[in-house]
Parts: sequence; structure tokens; C-alpha cells
Amino acid sequence: MKTKAFVIYTLALAALALLPAAPAGAQTKVTLKMGDNLPDRSNTWGAIVEQINGEFKAAHPGADIVTESYPDQPYQQKIKIYATAKQLPDLFKFWSFTSLLKPLIDGGFVAPLDRADFESLGYRPGALDTNTYNGKLYGIPVSMDFWVIYYNKKLFKDAGIDHVPATLEELYALIPRFKAKGIIPMTTDGKDAWPLSITFDQLVWRISGERGLPRQALDRKIKFTDQVFVQAARALQQLVKSDLFQEDLMVSDYGASRNLFGQGKAAMYLMGSWELGLGTDQAFSAEFRANVDAFKFPAVKDGKGAVDDLMAWYGGNYVVSASSKNLALGKQYLMFYAKRFPELAWEKQATLPAQTVKARPGDTPVAQTILRIISEARATSGTPALDLSTPRFKDDNENAIRELCSGLITPEAFVKKLDAAAEKAAKK
Amino acid sequence: MAWLVLPGLAVLVFSLAVPLGFSVYYSLTDWDGLGAYQRVGLDNYRSILTDDPVFWRSLRNVVALIAVTIFVQNPCAFVLAAFLSRLSSRASRLLRTIYFVPAVLSLVIVAKLWVDVYNPTFGILNKLLRAVGLDALAISWLSNPSTSLAAVIWIIVWQGFGWALLFYYAALMTVPRDLEEAARVDGASWLATYRHVIIPHLYPVISTVIVIDVISSMKQMELIYLTTAGGPGQLTQFLGVYLYQKAFVSGEYGYGNALSVLFVLLSAGLTFLVQRGMRVLSR
Amino acid sequence: MSQRKALTWALQVVLVGFAGMQLFPLAWVFIASLQRSGDLFGNDLLRLPTDPQWHNYTRAWTDGQIVRYGLNSLIVVTTSTVASTALSFCMGYALARMRWRWKRLVLGVLGLGMVVPIHATLLPNFIWYGYFGLIDTRLGLIIPYVAFTLSFNTLVYTGHFRNLPTALEEAALLDGASWPRILWSIVAPLATPATVTVAVMTFLSGWNEFIMANTYLASDELRTLPFSIIRFEGQYSSDYAAQFACMVIVALPALALYLFFSKHIMAGATAGAVKE
Repeated sequence: MKTKAFVIYTLALAALALLPAAPAGAQTKVTLKMGDNLPDRSNTWGAIVEQINGEFKAAHPGADIVTESYPDQPYQQKIKIYATAKQLPDLFKFWSFTSLLKPLIDGGFVAPLDRADFESLGYRPGALDTNTYNGKLYGIPVSMDFWVIYYNKKLFKDAGIDHVPATLEELYALIPRFKAKGIIPMTTDGKDAWPLSITFDQLVWRISGERGLPRQALDRKIKFTDQVFVQAARALQQLVKSDLFQEDLMVSDYGASRNLFGQGKAAMYLMGSWELGLGTDQAFSAEFRANVDAFKFPAVKDGKGAVDDLMAWYGGNYVVSASSKNLALGKQYLMFYAKRFPELAWEKQATLPAQTVKARPGDTPVAQTILRIISEARATSGTPALDLSTPRFKDDNENAIRELCSGLITPEAFVKKLDAAAEKAAKK
Repeated sequence: MAWLVLPGLAVLVFSLAVPLGFSVYYSLTDWDGLGAYQRVGLDNYRSILTDDPVFWRSLRNVVALIAVTIFVQNPCAFVLAAFLSRLSSRASRLLRTIYFVPAVLSLVIVAKLWVDVYNPTFGILNKLLRAVGLDALAISWLSNPSTSLAAVIWIIVWQGFGWALLFYYAALMTVPRDLEEAARVDGASWLATYRHVIIPHLYPVISTVIVIDVISSMKQMELIYLTTAGGPGQLTQFLGVYLYQKAFVSGEYGYGNALSVLFVLLSAGLTFLVQRGMRVLSR
Repeated sequence: MSQRKALTWALQVVLVGFAGMQLFPLAWVFIASLQRSGDLFGNDLLRLPTDPQWHNYTRAWTDGQIVRYGLNSLIVVTTSTVASTALSFCMGYALARMRWRWKRLVLGVLGLGMVVPIHATLLPNFIWYGYFGLIDTRLGLIIPYVAFTLSFNTLVYTGHFRNLPTALEEAALLDGASWPRILWSIVAPLATPATVTVAVMTFLSGWNEFIMANTYLASDELRTLPFSIIRFEGQYSSDYAAQFACMVIVALPALALYLFFSKHIMAGATAGAVKE
């Protein structure tokens, strides 16, 4: 009799399994399908989007919004699969990078937008341009990111250091003083390669004083095997070889390196401006939050670049699917988002918006510093080299960076690999 | 009798044979997974076999994993199973249950745990080494080029240990008592009994376990991806991870599929070889 | 005698030490789940939390949508387990007991079923299942779950059946019983150890499965338990503590199932391996 009960139970489950997902109720609403890489809807950015969605729905009673969220990697995969199966969401969060956006544009998967709709919404100079291809605007940038070094004021004091390093040489001099106190001088995400790749670009600029050399190399106007790149590679390898970073840098992922800094185990954190939220992150101690601040990436001795040459770019954006049946509504949403996001993002210290924001009286010291750094910027770099070309180039770039920083190849071999990859990418 | 086989066969064909066919088709193109593509015949295969050092390294690493599994993990599991079979039924049941626990946990947990254990500054492994004065050995196991492969292989072997133990224990339980006793009565030592009587008796089991080990070693993906992601450089690259990265991360879908097809062929081939080998050995 | 004692003692130490090592991950994940997100990665491993953050569990339970996802997992995984067990039972029997022409071909297809990598099937199946309206349905997840476990399960049954004497079935045949009846009343009970093994292993593999669920499902109403863990991933910082609490919650049913059936697994596990 147990068997009978079990069989009935299973058949019932099977029947449930065959039921469709949602009850097919009478739908008079228009549903906007959205996608993003923010699965956590109750913290920072995810929460902001939920708030904006709520306000939008209130303002448009006939509209409903359904969002699919995944972490970065699965999200990119899903978007690709949806694109191939012609089932892209109406609107989705994406990236301004050539390596990611251009394939979508070339495949005709995203719809062009009317630039005039967004001109007067306070975008920083050049923001809309990064999303413009063939003269048309294809996406709305949401965040501006730049490369910076965060530091823990208390740990600096403990090591008897009273000012932030202005040159790499000064930075190296700090290493033994931190190590004497058992403090890791600096952490960064080494497992994912892109932070080190961006640092490479930064070093190229610092050494040469010229903006845009990697882009020229990708355009094959110059070669990656030119001397300036070799010097930058040497500098990067030296940074990693010296005891500056955590010992297992190359397998230390984003979360691990961030938490090391937040727990007060490391004095500095090499990362992007989006981490200004460190100043308000409740997962860390109050003491840490009160002591975290930032400084500009140092200059190189005999280098022609200055500290106000910022590795800065526009990262996240939103795009509209070309096959969306709700184009007009989608564009309205984008405009609404663009109006609400900067204020909310700055208030919650989620990221630096692509539009200009004013400092608030409640801003943490690190947030104030971030605003100051961007306002003092002399020049910005645009998208880092690894994302300026094909996905294959990005993969090759990242692999080469990993090999260089693991000490497996020489700087000379590294630039050769980069150049071969650039050559291959240019042929496409 | 057809109705016994057809439903299962239908599911297999529907879910595996059809996508495999797609895979073969795409492997003959240069598709990036998104837009237009061109057919390139066997170019991908040619590139893989003649121009791709990472492929050969992944293959070498898989063979290393298989070797460690067959010659280290399995014998240890067997010996442990032999000891367990001598214990009282309750004690052995408790221990067997405990030993199997890692196999039940998700691979994400196992990966995160070992990354923590291997952490050069805070990880428990180096802490223990320093505590006994072996400071020189307290290195960064996962990121050091000379130890990373061994460190990753250890995680995989450790995680699969419970299954091997399970199989061998159950197998030992089926050895008839009189077989064993006959050998003991003849004056054979424990070691000899095992070597000449029990193990040959269990040959079919051992053979199957090894075949399963080969296949699952080739398929290993998550544990590597979540710990080293193939690094440092490409030193700990494995086929399962490599084909994923090529197909989904690097935008070389056609190439990734060619790797998949080769993967299937290699797995089938390796399995066949191992089975043949075991049969020859048993004579 | 004392040398023997010492050996036994040493053996016990090894066994217990080994047990500790195997239980270690569970202890670790549990302790990690009681800390604050920012405390992970870098502190002493297994340091008992001085103030356990039990709210991680409440957060995991509600924000992780444990009830909804858990129900889906239960439906999908149970159904696929039953289906896979039933189908492999039939195939195993046919392969072990019967003589027929296409046996070699079927064995080949089964072999293929064991070596095809899951990732290679994701995109093709997304399009292929799409033709049949199977994407974003529970059935669309059950089918691949069955497919990927069918080969190994059949292997277990085949081995088990080869070991069984045919006397009972032959007697029933002589008595004029029909095949369905023979299979259900005679063979199935004899195959119980194998059935338990197959069922438990299939269940365990489906319970933790993420990549196919991620690819074939879209609606939140249908998602399975592994999703509860990724719900705490932010773009730049994740709530690791809540993730770990989720992992503990997800692991509990799997552990319970294993503990409950562990003695049956023993009998069944070898069944697939004793004779080829």
C-alpha cells in the first residue's frame, strides 16, 4: 500500500510539473520584459532599479515590468542565447564596450535611439559618444568608471605613513613598512585579469604621456611591440613581483580581494570608482567605513604622464532590443531611468553615474574624493584596450596578462602575444 | 520488447543526439554565437590539433588527473574499504555515511572551501605548516606554477573519494566468506589473500569503477573553473573548462564546438582503451 | 599483542581523522553562514563566530525565495528521478536479459550519453526545445535531467540484472504471466537495491544542478533551488553570508535523503559493477 501511495504522490507531482508557469489571467497590461546582471534586489543597485521600476509603473498604470536577473557570466550567456533565438528582453542592461556591444549591433539585435531625447539629461561630455556607432546612438550609459586606489587611513597611520604616494617609487617604499606590521600593502582582483589589464593601460599612459596608444595599436597604426609597451609590461610585472599585492593574487577573485581590504587586512585596494560604496557598506566595521578614502594612481618616475590622466570609461548601459514590440514604451522607460538614476545612485553611493551629480552634505570622505578626482581630471582614456576589440582579443589579452603576471613569460614575449592578437582581431 | 527500450532511447536521442548533431554542424563554422557565420570545413579541427598548445596541455592535465585517480585515489579507497569491512556493522555504517558527505554537497561549496584552505596567508593548510616549522612549504598553492596542478587535482580526487570508497566497500561485501577462509586456511597472509584471491575476484567491479573514473575525470569542469579558472597562465586548464571558455566567454562558438566533438571522441576512445586494457590484464 | 593493539589504535586514529576531514566542509559552510558578509575570505578558518548572525538565515529564506524555488526543485527533481529510474529499469532489463538485433547500437547510444558534455548541449537544446515550446517550462528541464542520468542508471541496472538468477521469471513465464506483470511483481522487487541507488544518485545530481536550469528557465515562478544562492550576488559585491546560509539550507534535504537511504545505496552501488 505504501507503493500505491507513492505512485499517486508521484503522479500528482508529475501533473504539477506539466502545468504552465503563470496563470493565464486576463492581461490588459503591456509587459516590459527586462534583463540585468543585478540578482540582488534588496541592496544598492538592484534596489535602485526596483525603486525606479515601481515609480515607473505608478506613472504608467497600463505597464508592467518583469525582470530576469543573473550574475555577470550567466547573464552574458543568456543574452547571447536569447539573441540567437530571437527572444531578447525588450530592454536590458549591458555594456558600452566594443567587445560586447558591437557584436549585438552588427547582428541587428539592438535598436537605435534618438540622441535628441537624451541630450539634455546631464550626461558628461563624451558619454553618449561611447555608445554611438556608425553615427547612431545604440545605448544609454548609466555609470562612469575610473581607475583609482582606495586606502585605509588608519592602517597608514599605524605604519607611520602620513601621506599618500605620488609616484610608484614612493609606493614601493611603503611596502616594507606595511609588511613590518603584518599588513598586506595592496589587494586587487587578480583572478579576473581585467583589473591588471587596465593597470597595464594606465602604465602605458603614465610612461608615455600620450593618450590612446593602445587604441592606435589595435588600429595597427603602431605595434604593441613598440618600446613603450615593453616598458609598461616590465613595470606591471615588477608591481606584481614585488611584495605589493596579496600572495595569491592570481587566484584571488573579486570578492576575496575586496573583503581583504574591507576587513582591514590590506592597506590599499586597486579598483574602480564604483567601489565608493565601501564607505557605506554595512558588511564592514564602522571603523573601516570611517577610514576609507582614495587617491589617484601614482605617476611614474621619468614618465611623461600626470596623475590627472585618468583611466576612465563608461561601463554599464541600457539597450533596447530591435525586435521589441514595445519600442515606444521602452524608450520612455529609458528616459525615466536616466532622470531618476543619478540622484538615487549617488544617494545610495551605488556608483558614479554617467551624468554629473552634485556633492551632497552627507557624502562620505571617499565619495567626496571620487567627485574631486573626476573633476580634476585632465584627460580620460575611454574604454580600456581589452574591451576595444573582438571578444577573442579580450580573451587573448586576459590570458597574456595572466601569464605575464604569473611570471611565466617575459615582457617582450607578452607584447609579442598582444600584437599577434591585435593582428588577428584587425583581420576580422 | 521494443517498448522497454524505445522510450528511453527516444529521450536520449531527443536530448543528446540532436544537440550533438548541432554541435558537429557548428564545429564546421566560425560562428561567434551571435551573428552571421561562414562554413570553414575542418579548419577548427586543424587549428586545435596543430596550432593550439592549450588543447594539448588540457589533455595532458586530464591524463594526469586520471593517473592520480587510478593509481592513488582508488588504491587508497580500496584499502580503506578493506579496513572498514573488518569493522562492526554499526561503526562501519556510521563512518561510511560520514565519508560520503562531501559527495552530497554542491561543488560550489567544495571549491570555495579549498580556495580558503589554500590561502597562503590565512588558510588552514599554511597555518598548520607554519605551526610545525615547515615555513618554507607555506606557499601559495593554487597560484604557484609548480604546485597549482597538484593542488587542483587534489581537490578533485578528494571530492570523488567517497564514491570510490562506496563502490569498493560494497564490492568487498559481496566476496563470499568461504573464498576468503579457504585461502586463510591454506596459510596465506592477509596481503597475499587480497592480492591473489580477493582482488582478482573483484576484477569486474574495479574495471567498471575505473571506466567511470576516466569519464568523470574528462568531464571535470566546475571545480577547476571555480578555483583557478585554468590558471596560472593555462597551467591548470582542463578540457571541460577550455571548451566552455572558448564557446561562451571568448566568443568562438564554432571552435568550442569542435573541442566538444573532439572531447566526445576522446572520451569514447579512452574508455574503450581502458576497457580493453583491463580485459587484457585480467588474463 | 601490543604491536597489534598499536596498529589497531593507529587505524582508528586514521579513520577518525579522515572522518573529520570529510565533515569539514559542512562545518565550514555552516560557520561561514553565521558570519557577516565582510568577514569572509581572510579570517581564520573555522573561527567560531562570536556573534552568530542568524538573520542570514531569515534573509536567505525570504529573499532567497526558498519556498517557491524549493517546491519547483521538488517537483522537477522528483519527477525526473522517477522517470529516469523507470526508463533505465526497462532498458537495463532489456539489455541484460534479452537478445535482440539492435543491442549494440543501443549500447553505443548509451555510451554516448555518458560522455557528451552538458555545456555543448545548452545552445542547441535551447533552440531545439524552443521548437516544441519546451523552454521556460518544467518539462523542458525534466527531459534533459532524465537524459543525462539515463546512461549511468541503465549501467547500474544492467549489472544488477546480470547477477540475478532467472529462475523466478522463467517460472512466471511458464505460468503464462504477461511481461508487464512479470516486471512489476517479480523483477522490480528483486531490483530494489539498484532502484534505491539509481533514485538517490539521480535525485542528488538534479538537486544541485544549475547550468541547465539557468539556461532553460526564465520565469521566476519556475526557478529551482540553486537560484536562491545567486540571488545574493550584486554586480560588485555579494552578500556572501546569505549565500552560505542558502547553501546550508539547500544541502539539508540532500543530506537527509542520503542518510535515510544510505544502507540501500550500499547494496545497489555494487550491483552495477559486480559483473560487466
